[in-house]
Amino acid sequence: MYAYDTYDHAMVNARVAEFRDQVDRRMKGELTEEEFRPLRLMNGLYLQLHAYMLRVAIPYGTLSAGQMRKLAHVARKYDKGYGHFTTRQNIQYNWPKLSETPDILQELSDVEMHAIQTSGNCIRNVTTDQFAGAAADEVADPRPYAELIRQWSTFHPEFSFLPRKFKIAITGAAEDRAAVKWHDIGLVLKQNEAGEVGFEVLAGGGMGRTPVIAKSMREFLPISDMLSYLEAMLRVYNEQGRRDNKYKARIKILVDAMGIDEYRRQVDAEWEKIRHVPIDVPEEEVARIKAFFAPPPLPVLADAATEVDELENANFVFKAWLANNTGAHKVPGHAHVTISLKPHGGIPGDATDEQMDLVADLADAYSQSEIRVSHEQNLILPHVAKSDLPALWSKLDEAGLGTPNAGLLTDIIACPGLDYCSLANTRSIPIAQTITERFDDIKRLMDIGPLKIKISGCINSCGHHHAGHIGILGVDRRGEENYQLLLGGSGAEDASKAAILGPGFNEAGIVDAVEKVVAVYLGEREDDETFLSAYRRLGPDVFKEAVYGTD
Amino acid sequence: MVLINLTGIQPTGFTLLADDVQPKEGENVAVSVERLLAEDSAFFDTAGGVGAVITTGTPYADLDAIAGKLAFAVIEFPAFGDGRGFSLAVRLRKDFGFKGEIRATGPVIPDQALFLLRAGFDTVDVTSERKTAFEAALSRFPGFYQSDFGGQTSIAHARHTVGHTIGHSGEGHRKAS
Amino acid sequence: MAKKITGPQLILANRLDDGRAVFLTATGTWSNAAADAAVADNEAELDTLMTVAQAADLANFVVSVTPVAADTSNGVTAPAHIKFAMQARGPSVRADLGYQVSPNWEQ
Ligand code: SF4
Repeated sequence: MYAYDTYDHAMVNARVAEFRDQVDRRMKGELTEEEFRPLRLMNGLYLQLHAYMLRVAIPYGTLSAGQMRKLAHVARKYDKGYGHFTTRQNIQYNWPKLSETPDILQELSDVEMHAIQTSGNCIRNVTTDQFAGAAADEVADPRPYAELIRQWSTFHPEFSFLPRKFKIAITGAAEDRAAVKWHDIGLVLKQNEAGEVGFEVLAGGGMGRTPVIAKSMREFLPISDMLSYLEAMLRVYNEQGRRDNKYKARIKILVDAMGIDEYRRQVDAEWEKIRHVPIDVPEEEVARIKAFFAPPPLPVLADAATEVDELENANFVFKAWLANNTGAHKVPGHAHVTISLKPHGGIPGDATDEQMDLVADLADAYSQSEIRVSHEQNLILPHVAKSDLPALWSKLDEAGLGTPNAGLLTDIIACPGLDYCSLANTRSIPIAQTITERFDDIKRLMDIGPLKIKISGCINSCGHHHAGHIGILGVDRRGEENYQLLLGGSGAEDASKAAILGPGFNEAGIVDAVEKVVAVYLGEREDDETFLSAYRRLGPDVFKEAVYGTD
Repeated sequence: MVLINLTGIQPTGFTLLADDVQPKEGENVAVSVERLLAEDSAFFDTAGGVGAVITTGTPYADLDAIAGKLAFAVIEFPAFGDGRGFSLAVRLRKDFGFKGEIRATGPVIPDQALFLLRAGFDTVDVTSERKTAFEAALSRFPGFYQSDFGGQTSIAHARHTVGHTIGHSGEGHRKAS
Repeated sequence: MAKKITGPQLILANRLDDGRAVFLTATGTWSNAAADAAVADNEAELDTLMTVAQAADLANFVVSVTPVAADTSNGVTAPAHIKFAMQARGPSVRADLGYQVSPNWEQ
């Protein structure tokens, strides 16, 4: 993975020193809250319901074991012993003190981490496929390009005060695990007929009040044109994106208003002016960055391992974990492993300092010291030898990290909701907890098959409910928590918007409704049809009838 | 108000001209974009240097028409978060090769000092209590990932240039001429 | 003048340093417990409380000073709206870590 040189270090350290000075001026009263607020937000520090919240960037979801240990240390020393991994592949601490934040950021800087671009109307940290560099189905590793975009966008002189936040996602595989179509810009690495690698470019996706699926800008953009094309896209948006209404300021609204063809025309016209001016990055630099992401030296091993077969036959839970939480690796004899942060009855995405330390140790022992964070709020060990899987699983299982539910109904995305978030209408976490307790049977879950439930505590949609096979949205109904049920969304390559099924429910009602929806699916499915395909074939009516009765 | 000089340019002294006031002979004046577009050659012959007060809502297309006539430009930020001002400056420098002074006015914040410099601004008009913070902010960062109009090449280039160090020389866009 | 009020109000803020939700008491101090909150029953009383609260804001002790509807129906003062009630109670999850453990958490 990428390693800082003196330039990167100097920049992040300068940022910490700057923030230390700003915090100091705030504590002394030299800065008012009004003046300080935008400054702290630019450093990932929010004021939530009960305390400050610090959002730390995990660029494109890649972490080293050493970095994970530092995250554990911060949780222990400055917080209450845990952290929350988010749908943007970041980590949030729920209880830092303002006066200690500069120290936290300095400690993070020591391990090449920061909180830059985790808030504010800038290009936010780029997200990608959690299996990047490991997945067997990958055209190319997206991370070198994500790192290039990270550097290009950091403190960009022109694009740091955009109409609204701006999210870019990039994937290198045909199976979209990064929800690229739900981003302001989505990049999909592809090979053209000539065998060259480039990007399909998508624009104008986003969730929130107005969910929109991104549209295609260009079928194929050569890699060398990536930054100049992004620059043209951002410049047109920066000039013309609305600034009068923050709910209409995202690029999706602009693209919708002018039409994708007109946006493309304007971007192309802008691009013509700048594409031949070399933008910033010499070829040696691209090569330097790429070298950091060279595949790890994994030996080719036999695909079958006797240790695995034996335990698989003897232990059903291990067998389920193998089926659900491990996947095909580029190098034979290896797998990528998903560590579920969704224990039944637990808080989706939360990990304690001890669990973080353990994952770091396991990464050292079994996965080339590499860890990934997925947008589905799980952790990944990307490079594990198959023969190590039994030992790895038993260590995870002992620490409460062995839940074999990746991709199943209880692998729920949930935002922090009203338990922490000051923008929330309702709580999200307790809904996830009750659903996972209701479905606490791995055989039943495997029978139900792939089913993604996504819960947001308000329309800001951090819990991606628009993209849930089953989505749940919290609304405020006259001061009471109320939950809307949505069906049929997808965040994958077949992206679709979930539709509201009918009137909302209270806390107990929404869980019953989910159970009824699942029962309809089990009764109606054909052959090995998934929930999503069954819903697409059946339409909402049968579900509506089961949930609300007939009349 | 005080003027922060980002690039070491000789700041332009000028009069901000109301729309119904005529320039004196040889006087440097700043006028609205609309007026600049409407005035005839007599106006330009009378005035000394003519600059435009460019609001952040000014369409880029208007720059096409005025860039050639400008001696200097004042870009007015209605709020520090209105990033269109940065793009306008970049465009003047990049698309039109504009070499004159670009000044920022409005509630820009000290922490934007280097952003302004890098986007091509020379000077900033700020309230006097912000002067110290503005000047401190100018020396905060040793380098950036983008080549810029303050005369600094990007870290990406510095990494591959033997003996290259980074830091703002202060007169990038003019030195290049 | 404070805006017109339709029922009893209390004043909620966050402490500047740790962000902790705090309530203005009748003696002008800030308490972690909503039960200690001073209740304003009319605009004049709310004005008086807001003056005290805003002074604490100016003194950089608290931020985000907000008057909110109070519920006094059970004999114990609490914010009426669920969102502000959550601020008084702490998260409903991880009860082992929130305010529930110690009402005077890091006083
Ligand atoms: S979706 Fe709403 S409630 Fe949930 S974290 Fe985002 S802003 Fe907060």
